[in-house]
Amino acid sequence: MQRIINALIQYRNPILYFFFMGCSIFFLTKKSKYHKTQLEEYGMYVTKELYDINHKLSNYFKLKRKNEELLKENKKLRELYLKSKSLALYPNAFAKKKHFPFKLKEANVIKNSFLNQRNNLIIDVGKGDGIKSDMGVISKNGIVGIVNSVSENYSSVISILNQDIKINVRLKKSNALGSMFWRGLNPLEFKIDDVVNNVSFKKGDTIITGGMSAYFPYGIPIGEIVDFESNSQNGYYSINARLFEDPSLVNYVYVLSNVDREEILKLQENFQNE
Amino acid sequence: MNRKSLILLISFFSLLFFQIFAFNNMNIFGFVNPMIYIVFLVIYNFDSDQTLFILICFLLGFSVDFFSQSGGAHTIATLTVSFLRPILIRNSYGVTSEIPVSFNTDTRRINNYTFLSLLFILHHLIYFSIVFFDWTAVHLILKNTFLTFMFSLTLSIMVLNFYRKPNDS
Repeated sequence: MQRIINALIQYRNPILYFFFMGCSIFFLTKKSKYHKTQLEEYGMYVTKELYDINHKLSNYFKLKRKNEELLKENKKLRELYLKSKSLALYPNAFAKKKHFPFKLKEANVIKNSFLNQRNNLIIDVGKGDGIKSDMGVISKNGIVGIVNSVSENYSSVISILNQDIKINVRLKKSNALGSMFWRGLNPLEFKIDDVVNNVSFKKGDTIITGGMSAYFPYGIPIGEIVDFESNSQNGYYSINARLFEDPSLVNYVYVLSNVDREEILKLQENFQNE
Repeated sequence: MNRKSLILLISFFSLLFFQIFAFNNMNIFGFVNPMIYIVFLVIYNFDSDQTLFILICFLLGFSVDFFSQSGGAHTIATLTVSFLRPILIRNSYGVTSEIPVSFNTDTRRINNYTFLSLLFILHHLIYFSIVFFDWTAVHLILKNTFLTFMFSLTLSIMVLNFYRKPNDS
């Protein structure tokens, strides 16, 4: 207590000064509207700046959550997008009854490779998230691969950078079907076979997924035609294609689960048995 | 009450009176009103208790404000100058041993004028800053400060001559 009083006595002049200063400013604001609004403006400016900093900081720390939210939203939009693309394949009369069997699930890539002839990825969703083997995996600008094996929380995916995989594709303009496979060197360079000689197309035409497999729905843009030559002996074109997105660089992917897959497989089985 | 206190008391009221009724209505060039009441801050003894000095200066500024209907600009300027006066004294007179007891007892012209100028400039700068209270009006603040300072200084040097003892000069 004594110390406090001593300090008060020692600093009595500044204390007195600031006390009177406060009184003066009080009188000033009471008496003059101009000074009052002006002071309030400065006060507003300071608080605005403070809130701004606060807002920026908290925004920064919320980025992760925001990102996840955006990813979820993106998933929904992509689902709608694929749905709309897919229905365009069928005439309107059929579109009514046709339902879209694909559901999306977002995932992070935790391991990716492109150096081998047979590459695969590991993603951080598994059995617990409803992932099964033979599901398609797409990214925002193309397709990535097909789920191979599934553990509780992780799945391994055969990358399309794998010379064993052939993907069913279409040329967007002519709707001609073909099958696409990796050439084995550059992750962007692919080759398309089995396009019959009687269709016409040109360089730069877009390649989309064909919709003839249970893995991918119709109409996901994958890449474009770089060049082609017609092989008159066997009646097929051989086309060089380039992907829109390097599958070795993707971070976020979506896993496509086909609701009707069991049904399709059963039908196929019956067909083979007969 | 000794003679010095009496002189201070009379100066307080007379300066206040002249400031309010004469100098506040001068309007030289239409806007310059010399501030003569700051002379009180000059003649107040340098070695006296500062707490009382701050209190009196607050009263002085407040009275000027009160009678000239000017919000609180005079109060704030006078209060700040009274609080900072020891620093001004040290800056204009040098080391502690050379600081005179009061303004009138010192005969060094340059130091006296330095002290006066510093006091007036500081006071006027604070006063006009508060009157305009806007960073965009800097040129107005500086112009007003400078012109008012010239007149205030001239007039207060005249007034300060009243306080000199006949045998001083």
